[in-house]
Amino acid sequence: MKTWALIVDTWREALARYTLLGFLIVSTLFLLILTFALNLDIVDGSLAAGTLFGKAIELHHGARAIDTVVVTGQSIFAGMLYVLGIFLAVFATGSQVPNLQRRGTVDLYVTRPISRTHLLLGRFLGAITLVTANLIFLCGGVFVIISLKTGVWNPRFLVASGIILVVFLSFLGFMYLVGVVSSSTPLSIMLPYALYMVSMPLAAHDHIAAAMDSRFWANVVHGLYWVFPKTAEVGRDLTAYVLGRGTPTLVPLATTAAFGAVCLAAAVVTFNRKSF
Amino acid sequence: MDESPTVISVRGVSKEFRHWGRRLRALDGVDLEVRRGEVFGLLGANGAGKTTLIKVLLGLTRPNQGEARVRGRDPRFASARTRLGYLPEGHRFPGYLTGEGTLRLFGSLAGIPPGTLNRRIPELLELVGLADRAHDRVGRYSKGMTQRLGLAGALLDEPEVLFLDEPTDGVDPVGRRQIRDILLATRTNGTTIFINSHLLSEVERTCDRVAILHRGRVIREGTVEGLTRRTQRFRLRLDAGVLPPEECLTATGAAVVTSNGALEVEVPDLEALNRLVDALRAEHLLIAEISPLRAALEDVFVEVVEEEDAR
Repeated sequence: MKTWALIVDTWREALARYTLLGFLIVSTLFLLILTFALNLDIVDGSLAAGTLFGKAIELHHGARAIDTVVVTGQSIFAGMLYVLGIFLAVFATGSQVPNLQRRGTVDLYVTRPISRTHLLLGRFLGAITLVTANLIFLCGGVFVIISLKTGVWNPRFLVASGIILVVFLSFLGFMYLVGVVSSSTPLSIMLPYALYMVSMPLAAHDHIAAAMDSRFWANVVHGLYWVFPKTAEVGRDLTAYVLGRGTPTLVPLATTAAFGAVCLAAAVVTFNRKSF
Repeated sequence: MDESPTVISVRGVSKEFRHWGRRLRALDGVDLEVRRGEVFGLLGANGAGKTTLIKVLLGLTRPNQGEARVRGRDPRFASARTRLGYLPEGHRFPGYLTGEGTLRLFGSLAGIPPGTLNRRIPELLELVGLADRAHDRVGRYSKGMTQRLGLAGALLDEPEVLFLDEPTDGVDPVGRRQIRDILLATRTNGTTIFINSHLLSEVERTCDRVAILHRGRVIREGTVEGLTRRTQRFRLRLDAGVLPPEECLTATGAAVVTSNGALEVEVPDLEALNRLVDALRAEHLLIAEISPLRAALEDVFVEVVEEEDAR
C-alpha cells in the first residue's frame, strides 16, 4: 500500500506539473503527423508510390518490397525515439528527487514509518510507470499506425522500445544520484544530458586512446568507456535489430544497465545517510 | 516522584554542521528525559538548536555523539516511527494535493488502512476547522490553514508521541486557542507532547515541564510551576475599577509596578500587604480581587539566558 501511494503520488505530481500532459501532447502530435502525413501506395506487396506531407517519396530503384521499406522506416523511428524519448523522459522526471528533498517537504515524508530506501525506490517505481506508459503510447502508436497502413507487423520494433526503456532506467538511476547529492533540478537534468553526450563518442575509445600521447589518459578513456552507459553501441544495435540484422549484443546493454543499478544503489545509500 | 515510564530520552547528544569549511555546533551534549503523558516544552531563541534536537529525535538528522531514543528505540528505524506525529516548522505540503488528498497520502505512507483513513480524515478536518476546504488544493491555503492541516496530519496516526515545531507559527489568536484546545484534548488520551517554541506565553499555558536550550546546551530544566516562582507582586483590583489614592499605597511601603485597570503592587512582605488592605478599607474602598503574581516564563527565560551569556 505504501508503494502504491508513492506511485500514485508520482502520477499526481506529473499531472499537476503538466509533465504528463506535455508527454501526451508531444506523443499525440507525433502520432497524428505520422497518421496523416504518410501515405503509401502498395501494389502486390511492393511500395509503388508514397507521399510524405503530400510530397512524393522518390523510389530510386523502382518499386521496393514493402517489408524493407517498413523495417527501414521503423529503424529510423527507433533511432529517433532512442534519443528523443530519453531526453524527454529525463526532462520529465528530473525534478522528482529535488522536490522530495525540498526543505519543509522532506521532513513530512521521511518521518513517516517508511524506510528511506522504500521511499526512494517507490518514487523510482513511480517514474518507471510514468515513462513506460508514455513509451507504450508512443512506440505502440507508431507500431500500430505503420503496421495498419502497410500490413507489415514487425514485433522487433516493440522489443526495441523495451531496450529504450532499459537505457532510460540507467539514466534515471544516475539522475537519482545527482538529485540526492545536489537537491538541484537543473543539475539533475543537465548532468544526464552531459553524460549522454560524453558517452556517445566513447564508443570509439580505442581510436581516441590510440591518438593520445599519455598512457594515463588513454587508460582513463578506456575506463570511462567501461563505466559509462554504452549509448552509441546500444543505439547501433537497436536500429540493426529492428532492421533484422542480428540481435543486440549483451555486453553494452548489460554494462549500461549495471551503471544505472550502481548509481541507484549509491543514491539509496546516500539518501539513507543524509541529514535533513 | 513521577514514576511514568520515559518516552523520550536524549543522552549526550551533540551535532555539528559543516558549512563551507566552517563548523557550526548546533547541539552540545544535550541530556533530556520526557515521561509518558507529559507536555514538554523546549524553549530557546532562534538558532538555539531546538529544531536540530527535534530532527535528531525523529531520525531526520544523525547526531555526531550521544544517542536519542523514543519509546526506547532508535528513531532512525522506520518501525520505531509508528504512531509518532510530527508537525515540522515551515512545512510545505505538495501544493498539487487537496487537503483531503494530503492526509490520505501521508496516512497511506504511515501504513494506516484505507478504511481507517476514510473515518479519520473527515474527523480530523472537522477538528481543525478545514472540513469545508477539504477539496481545495493545499497551494491555495493560507499559512494558518496549512498549519492546521499540518496538525491534522500529525494527529492522523493517533500518535503516542507528538512532536510540534512552532505549532502556532503564523496562526491567528483564534486559531492558536483552537490548537491549544486540540493539544489539551490529545493529552487526555495519554499522548506525550514535545513542543518547540519561542512563544513563551503559549508554552506557559500548555506545558508541564520545560527546558531552556541556549547555544546547543540545556541551561535550565524544570516544571513551569517551579521555574515561574512566586514574587512579592500582587494584582489588586478595586470595585468598579476605582484607583486608590497614591498616599495610601506609599504609606504602607507598597510600590506600584503597573497600572492597567487593576494595580500591580510590590510589597516587601505580607505584613505590608495587610497594612495596605487596612488602609484601603479605612478609605471605604471595596476590594474585588487580590491575587499573587508569579514571574512570567518570559522573565525567567531572559534572566537565565542573560546569566549564561554573562559567564
